Amino acid sequence: MPPKSSSSKEKDLTDEDEVLQAVILADSFNKRFKPLTSGKPRCLLPVCNATLLDWTFESLALAGVQEIFVVCRSYPELVKAAIRDSKWSKPSLGLKIVSIITSKETFTPGDAMRDIYTRGIITSDFVLVMGDLVSNIRIDEVVRVHKERRRTNKDAIMTMVVKPSGVVHRTRSKGESAIFVLDAETSECLHYEHVTGYPPKKHAKIPREILAEHPEIEIRNDLIDCGIDVCSVEVPSLFQDNFDYGDIRRDFVHGVLTSDLLMKSIHCYVAREGYAARVADTRSYDSVSKDILARWTFPLVPDDNHPGGHSYEHIRGNKYLAKGNSVVLSRTCKVGSNCLIGAGTHIADNANIQASVIGQRCTIEANVTLRNVYVFDDAHIGAGSVIEYSIVGSNVKVGEGSTVARGCLIGDDVILGKNAKLGEFERVSRRRDEGEADESDKEDEDEQSEDSELEEAEARQDSESITAIIGEGSNAIVWPKGPRADEEDLDEVERYNNQRLMRIGDPASDLPLEYEGTESDSDASERESDESDLEMHALSRISSATSTSAISTSTPGLNIHTLHDAAAYSEFQAEVTQSLDRAFAEGHSVDNAAVELKTLRMASNVPLRKVREAVVASIVERIEVVEGDAAAQRREISKMVGRWGPLIDKIGGVDPVETIEVLQYHCAKSARLPLFGQILAALYQDDIVEEDDIRAWHARPEAKGEGLKDTSFAENVKRCWLVGTKMIEQFNEQESSEEESGEEDSDEEEQPSKKPAAATAQAAVGKKEESSEEESSSGDDESGEDDSQDSEDDAPATKAATAAPSQPSKPASTPASTKESEEEESEGSEEEESEDDALAPSQPAASKPSASSTTPAVSAAPSAPPPVPAAHAPALVSSTAAPAQPSTQDEESSEEESESEASDKEPAQTAQSQAPPAVASSKQPVTAPSKAESEESEGSEDSEEEEESEDDAASRATEPVPQAQVSTPKASTETARPPATITTQTESVATIPAAVPRPRPGPDVVGGQPLRPQQAAWRRHSIHFGDKVLKSGTTTGEKARRVVTTAGRQMKKGILTILRRNEREKQSTR
Amino acid sequence: MDFEETPSKITTKEFLAVVLAGFGNELAPLTSNNGDEPCPKALLPIVNKPMLDYPLAWLEASGIRDVLLICPAPHRASVLHYINSDSSASSFPSLRIDLQAFDESENLTVGTCQLLRHFAHRIDQDFIIVPCDFIPPPSLPLSRVLNKFRTEATYDGAIATTLFFEQPKPDKTSTPEEWRSGPASTSVVWDEKSGTLLHVDTPDEIDDDPEEMALNMSLLRRYPRSKLSANLQDAHVYVCRRTVLDVLKEKPRFDSIREEFIPWLCTPQYNSRKRSKYGHILNPLHNLPSQRLALEHCTLHTGLPSAYEPQSALSSPMDEVAPTETSSLRVGVVVHRASAGYTARANTLQTYLELNRHFLSQTTYALPIDSESRSLIDPKAQITSDSMVGHTTKVGERTNIKKSVIGKHCVIGN
Repeated sequence: MPPKSSSSKEKDLTDEDEVLQAVILADSFNKRFKPLTSGKPRCLLPVCNATLLDWTFESLALAGVQEIFVVCRSYPELVKAAIRDSKWSKPSLGLKIVSIITSKETFTPGDAMRDIYTRGIITSDFVLVMGDLVSNIRIDEVVRVHKERRRTNKDAIMTMVVKPSGVVHRTRSKGESAIFVLDAETSECLHYEHVTGYPPKKHAKIPREILAEHPEIEIRNDLIDCGIDVCSVEVPSLFQDNFDYGDIRRDFVHGVLTSDLLMKSIHCYVAREGYAARVADTRSYDSVSKDILARWTFPLVPDDNHPGGHSYEHIRGNKYLAKGNSVVLSRTCKVGSNCLIGAGTHIADNANIQASVIGQRCTIEANVTLRNVYVFDDAHIGAGSVIEYSIVGSNVKVGEGSTVARGCLIGDDVILGKNAKLGEFERVSRRRDEGEADESDKEDEDEQSEDSELEEAEARQDSESITAIIGEGSNAIVWPKGPRADEEDLDEVERYNNQRLMRIGDPASDLPLEYEGTESDSDASERESDESDLEMHALSRISSATSTSAISTSTPGLNIHTLHDAAAYSEFQAEVTQSLDRAFAEGHSVDNAAVELKTLRMASNVPLRKVREAVVASIVERIEVVEGDAAAQRREISKMVGRWGPLIDKIGGVDPVETIEVLQYHCAKSARLPLFGQILAALYQDDIVEEDDIRAWHARPEAKGEGLKDTSFAENVKRCWLVGTKMIEQFNEQESSEEESGEEDSDEEEQPSKKPAAATAQAAVGKKEESSEEESSSGDDESGEDDSQDSEDDAPATKAATAAPSQPSKPASTPASTKESEEEESEGSEEEESEDDALAPSQPAASKPSASSTTPAVSAAPSAPPPVPAAHAPALVSSTAAPAQPSTQDEESSEEESESEASDKEPAQTAQSQAPPAVASSKQPVTAPSKAESEESEGSEDSEEEEESEDDAASRATEPVPQAQVSTPKASTETARPPATITTQTESVATIPAAVPRPRPGPDVVGGQPLRPQQAAWRRHSIHFGDKVLKSGTTTGEKARRVVTTAGRQMKKGILTILRRNEREKQSTR
Repeated sequence: MDFEETPSKITTKEFLAVVLAGFGNELAPLTSNNGDEPCPKALLPIVNKPMLDYPLAWLEASGIRDVLLICPAPHRASVLHYINSDSSASSFPSLRIDLQAFDESENLTVGTCQLLRHFAHRIDQDFIIVPCDFIPPPSLPLSRVLNKFRTEATYDGAIATTLFFEQPKPDKTSTPEEWRSGPASTSVVWDEKSGTLLHVDTPDEIDDDPEEMALNMSLLRRYPRSKLSANLQDAHVYVCRRTVLDVLKEKPRFDSIREEFIPWLCTPQYNSRKRSKYGHILNPLHNLPSQRLALEHCTLHTGLPSAYEPQSALSSPMDEVAPTETSSLRVGVVVHRASAGYTARANTLQTYLELNRHFLSQTTYALPIDSESRSLIDPKAQITSDSMVGHTTKVGERTNIKKSVIGKHCVIGN
């Protein structure tokens, strides 16, 4: 039916008659051209003496675009003025140019797109380009193809223009390229993989699922992304819907292609003909300029259609001279091929100009050599200067005899003195006047960061070396070289080493860009070695380069990793200090603090030891130094260690030997060196370290300070070690003496003289108390073993009776004093009084029970008295601790106690000696009962409530794990406690989740620490997450690491909120 | 002057064909033991010809003389009997078949790599690995693969050439049978222009990452425009340089040629680390310059993709031109498109059936001419032309045979 088709064709034509719109994003959203772009936007930089914006307009005009929106962000008034003054705004051209000023908060192209959406200016399919495009591609053809496709497939929302070039092409950026995976027939883009040059990408990952629908696809790594997109109207709205889309390629294209919901497709237009390139960095500035001079952009060439409206004469050898006899060339000067010289420029005798672009009204003095240099308007190059591969801004004055090495960028209005010697890749800009700086500060806050950079640069200008660089009488400041301090926060494309690939004149040959692959998956070991080899290789290459070439003197490439690690550590250190400060100040529970620490550790990917160091350090530093009062000092220590000591073992792993070592090394550095012995003793008291651990530590060479150079430090370490020696001597003495007599009297005489031992004794008492709580709580039906136990312990039972009177107040006071937390202070204040009383007798008394508690044989003595005395003993103990204890419960408790000890003893002892998890979990009860204790005073009063939960508590406690937690020697010191205590424990179950020992060591138990399900869920998350961290750590994927770090922070935030909620709930339940 | 003797001697030296005949576990129950008698896969008939006939004929047609036939020990007797039988001796007069057996059972099959390592001492020259179950189409002569290998090995130091065929698009009209399980095709990355195999997606890799396929960036840098095809199948036909065996010895852990060794063999061509490690073992020919010029004008040679396509006439000192390689260590690939003729490996029941059907549709059957066979077929029996009836088969009265293959010495009806 010919008539119909022709009519439809007509319709097509009318469709295409509608106004073709284009959007130019005239901001670069990065700083690659600094300092050339301080003072004007990138789109106004001249390329071959016409601004980039003009080139872009020209490219669009060629495509028949009728309406152009220019989105500008920085220096909008300059852009506006430039548009107004250009030939494009002449009404005769029929081009409608609207400049849109977007806010300073527009940081990404995505933000600009959202702005476009909200303005509602787009009515049909439009062309989206960046403001740095040089192209002669027939974009109208692309638009036609796009519209045709849209007719059959409404989901084809975008067509990207790409140009095949080969992998290594000068206009294809090494630093930022992409792999396009296209359907061979339809050139639908199926996958987009962004590639950064450094660190070199190892693998391109192609999702297998695309193969299901497209059995034959093409993987193209040879395409230049021209930055020209033909978009349909939906595109801005998609940006609006997905507020996190920043970059058009990496976020938008990737997001659309990977989305399961959008069902949109993006196509590529592979331009076989024509030229298109973006001036995205200084290197492409160079290559695009050369391409223009070599006429690859025809018809956009300087002698015809020059976008700036200049007219040039094209001479053989691609030389362009401004027409009109305004260029003055000396008879002896040499102008090589591929040169462009603007109007009004004077070139003096014997000047040699090769492959360079010289602006208008410049003066090149005699004997100047310019190779691959871009000189903007009104510049003055002094006699005898040599400049290579550099960009010289407008109105720059280079003094006589100066040398500018490759890769330099000289900002506008800079004056370089005589004999200035700019090294490679220097960037200089004009020093600003004071007032000017302030003004610009006020003017736009957005430039703040730049200003700070400038100020930083200004700050270090005084030294003479700088003067040597820029010459006498210069107004220039030299910008810092090398990676920025906040490099971590930058997008990986913008990082220093990657940017080096985009610099003019930088061969970057010292950067290992080719990832040399691995062995196939089947031989993993080989692969690993290969990879590590490679890294070493790469590193050595960089380091050798640093040592030899001047290019990279600014690049401590070798240090990148180590610096990075160091930065991570210091950041971690700071975070830990903060979080501990918070924990101490707000009185978090130990477990909450531990969770926070774990998250931090995983986020920062630091070894466990670092965490331990941080925790130990902060605990030690928080101990108040009490001068001249040993007892008070000891109290302070035990208070701090008792409250926060358990944290040391909750950071994700238990290694008491390391703990001691860390403590030693910290003390050796700290002012609290004299406290080492006492702290260690306190740790021993609280079961954080065991006698064996102290011995193990003591035997280690590190403990003796071997291999340490720093004399004073080593000495201090040695001193700490000697303290340890003393302690071990004591242990030995105790052992031997007990073996001999088994009487405490002999020990009593020795011990008061030694502080640590006294502290040990204190610990023993405290433990005895705790263990009694633990043990009593367990009810077991097996009574068969009771008798044997009882009979064994019959004799020492008397000892318990004797010991009892000497220490009645003690047990109550120790836990209270050590474990009280600030949040419980109000309740604890009563106890504090008793504590003070108790402490007085505690010191002389301490020696006595210590004897009994340190050896298993003796300590077993008071543990299992026959039912009747047992009933008596707890009464004594509990009455001091909680006077309101109903005495009726004593009977019950005594029964339970007698039953429990039989069942407890065995698992406890075996667990202690064999199973590490049990040892690890032995830290648990230290806090749990303490909570119970502190709440006891109030808890005992509402006994009704308690009795309800009593059964529950008892049944919980019967499980073997809590018993196993009680370490053997002390475990046996059993004095019964009424179940009332247990009930308060269960109460604390409800309020402080992590402090509760959970009976089953299921999968939720991490690092020997049982968790509530909810918390366990987080933990599982974090563990999983931790694996990830490790993985990424080993492959040193910078990005992965960054992602993980941010994710870690988010998670931490999440956990903190949950913890706070918990606290709130707890308070409300009270 | 004896012209006939000399050329044959030269050709014998060039290639040794290694024909691998396995148990055919995929073809059970056709290949399961028939009582005590084993049922060798190699001798399963496809339109009344043993499967082995097809690859042997293919080899012979390309001028190969020496064949190393490797079969399981239990099958040795029957395969040997077949080789020495009249039928094969008459159809392949020029082949010298060296039958070797290996000890293995159906349950404990020996990997193909191990076989190759075991018989490496019998292979002194470049060799072709051919499976007994590859049924090549007439449109694909082996010489096409061999010629590619010959030119590339000489010209730029290729180490192997492989053959892949496109899987025919699933026929919608055919009813899916219960036991139908289509052969799993592998995803391969290859360069179309130069015919280079770059990457084979192995089952191990799929296990490692079922979501994404990881391609080495150095691959993509060297071959920036490569194809990823999911519809190609490996014919298991590999032409390799002798030195490949030496590398195989270095890699004792490899088990399967197809799934492990060939994918690995693709890597040295772009992985410079492996290139340096194994390049000297692979030791490709170095007599290149003399032949290079001649081969550049050879129509068979398509040329390597140049990594640097000079778009600009300007010479820029900043761009380094990729150093010219002395030897590419390439693995060539010949891709046989489905449109060029049906081909398959008869290693699953489905393809076995398909192949039989295919050959039936290709030939028109006429009743046997010799009177002895003819007399056994009842004149009243109806046999359509898309069927095939073997010798001395008795077909009874009013038997109706449509679209079927009947073997020899059968009795149908009555």
